[in-house]
Amino acid sequence: MVISKQTRSKIDAVIAKYPQARGALLPALHLVQDEYGHVSKECAVEIAEIFEIRPVEVMEVLTFYNLFFDSPQAKHHVYVCTNLPCSLRGARGLLRQLESQLGIKAPGETSDGRIFLGHEECLGACGYAPMMRVDGQYHEVLDIEKAKRILDSLGE
Amino acid sequence: MPKITIDGTEIEASEGRTILQALDDAGLLMNGVDIPHYCWHPKLAVDGSCRLCQVEVEGIPKLQIACDTPVQDGMVVHTANDRVKAAREGVMELLLINHPLDCPICDQAGECKLQDYAYDYGVKASRSKEPRRALKKNVDLGPTIVFDQERCILCRRCVRFCREIPKTGELAVFNRGDYSVIETFPGTPLDNDYSMNVADICPVGALTTKDFRFKIRVWFLEEVAGICTGCSNGCNIHLGVANNKVYRYVPRRNDAVNDTWICDAGRMSYREIGAPDRLRECMVRDESGRLAPTGLDRAIEVAAGRLRRLIASKGAGVIAGLASAHATNEDLFTFRRFLSALGSETSGVAVVRGKADDLLIKEEKAPNGAGAREIGFGDARTVVDRISSGGIDALITLGHDALHESLLGSEKPLADLDTVIVLDTHASELQRVAHVIVPVRHAAEKLGTFVNVARRVQRVVPAVESAWETYADGEVLAKLGAALGLEGFDGSYDARQVARDLAAANPAFVGIDLDSVGDTGRLLAGSAASGAER
Ligand code: SF4
Ligand code: SF4
Ligand code: FES
Ligand code: FES
Repeated sequence: MVISKQTRSKIDAVIAKYPQARGALLPALHLVQDEYGHVSKECAVEIAEIFEIRPVEVMEVLTFYNLFFDSPQAKHHVYVCTNLPCSLRGARGLLRQLESQLGIKAPGETSDGRIFLGHEECLGACGYAPMMRVDGQYHEVLDIEKAKRILDSLGE
Repeated sequence: MPKITIDGTEIEASEGRTILQALDDAGLLMNGVDIPHYCWHPKLAVDGSCRLCQVEVEGIPKLQIACDTPVQDGMVVHTANDRVKAAREGVMELLLINHPLDCPICDQAGECKLQDYAYDYGVKASRSKEPRRALKKNVDLGPTIVFDQERCILCRRCVRFCREIPKTGELAVFNRGDYSVIETFPGTPLDNDYSMNVADICPVGALTTKDFRFKIRVWFLEEVAGICTGCSNGCNIHLGVANNKVYRYVPRRNDAVNDTWICDAGRMSYREIGAPDRLRECMVRDESGRLAPTGLDRAIEVAAGRLRRLIASKGAGVIAGLASAHATNEDLFTFRRFLSALGSETSGVAVVRGKADDLLIKEEKAPNGAGAREIGFGDARTVVDRISSGGIDALITLGHDALHESLLGSEKPLADLDTVIVLDTHASELQRVAHVIVPVRHAAEKLGTFVNVARRVQRVVPAVESAWETYADGEVLAKLGAALGLEGFDGSYDARQVARDLAAANPAFVGIDLDSVGDTGRLLAGSAASGAER
């Protein structure tokens, strides 16, 4: 058993809320990812057992959403929104500059595994474009200086 | 029953069918009414993902996908007007945006639906300036199949096949949108008894079989309708023939037998035809005890001489006949007549049994056990028992299935027989004890019929000429019968005539001859018609 007892009982609790167990697959994936930072192959097999589906069907859902990860992730996640309003306000240039500062191409992570940089579609903050999301936190009305400062302030 | 009008022609449809299904039921799809389609397959669940099958339905403002639009009484459908054509062109242009167009090195070329429809509905040049998706070209999906991610158009036929038919579900779509690819779960390859069917249903060159890929361009192949001989299901196949060689078996649709599928073992059994261990010449055992090659006349002469001597000394009761469930009804009926005319009292048919499933694969690993029984051959055990009790001096055997552990176990029980005459396609341990061996034809090399497990009589025709001197079993027996002076034997054998004689002699075969069985077979008289019969 890879999934902890606590997480397992939380999964059972969500399953109980749905008329069909399979409806709880997304919440279950969230619970597992909350615990481990990603959903490993072993976890996918176990989730499949819980839901009585094939592991490959868990992978279909897992890989469909890009906020689920099937492998260990960088410490910090930086997503620059590049949808239309943000792009009109310079988001693409911002992303390119962050890429060159970190020496990587988005989507990708720094060699020390500290920062993952990616782009994102509209995050609903268009009024404050351009924006990025760092570890779940929104940072708005960005310019390159401000964005660099935010990255620098991230811990190891 | 709802009536619908398609391009001005009224057809009757069954309740609950979709437009494409109704056309398929009526035998009109791609056979009078051409609605191009990728994701829809007659034997898989509707997917509605490729959007190529759009048609105009009067009264509905937008075009509808024919594969997933249920018929309604009075529905009027247009499948070929300008609006529909423009929609198809649009879909084709989108599909081709990312397609590598590597037809010159693609094994599907020539039987590719993307090529076909691009020819019909494609635009000449792509308007897209974006780079094409670069993906993996040579993914090993499992023991039988190679996958080219770039060529895949994500119709999901392969995914649905694995889930719905063998129910093994190895394949899935990973990722989303532009990034979607077909994948297996890490460490769980595509490996089931029917896996190679995915290459047949993949409309493009994304899935190809390791066995057939790069062997020959498909336009050189002549597709000959035949029957798989791997088991008693008698799946309908096309034999792909070029240069007098069979390159592959692919399933041939027969909804009463195998739908559109065949098992992997059956598909690979084409290799028996040109196998190195095929018997290539007649042989007789000489005074020194060695088998020496000879011609058919000499072989018949020796066999007849030995049998005549035995009949003179002990009577024909000491001669037994072992039939093969690989032989055709025509061979077997000739054998039956031969044994009766001879006065032999002991006969049976040897059938090797193995694993079966509830899809296609049947227990009897030969195509014609049912035919042999219908023609009067009982269980080979009777023969085996009489041999072990010492009541038999001579054995005429078609094939070597009797060597199987469930019957003789080996050739040893035959070692003491005075005479062993073997008519066989392939070499076996029988060679150690045989006195006369005559090489006979494989089902792919001769004309005749088999009766499958559901009592359907099905036809094989010569797809290739035997590469060496071989004969139909019936032909050899007819000659042997003539050499022995048996009543009703003049040495000639004509499968068509024998089929007519069989129909006249055996009420189960009434009305059945080599023409009337057609390409899809006919049930023996007195069989309850199966639901799928049509
Ligand atoms: S591999 Fe072939 S059958 Fe499978 S989704 Fe792609 S195109 Fe369709
Ligand atoms: S199920 Fe039997 S007849 Fe059908 S392909 Fe397989 S071996 Fe041949
Ligand atoms: S476009 Fe960037 S937040 Fe909406
Ligand atoms: S065949 Fe109808 S949508 Fe693909």
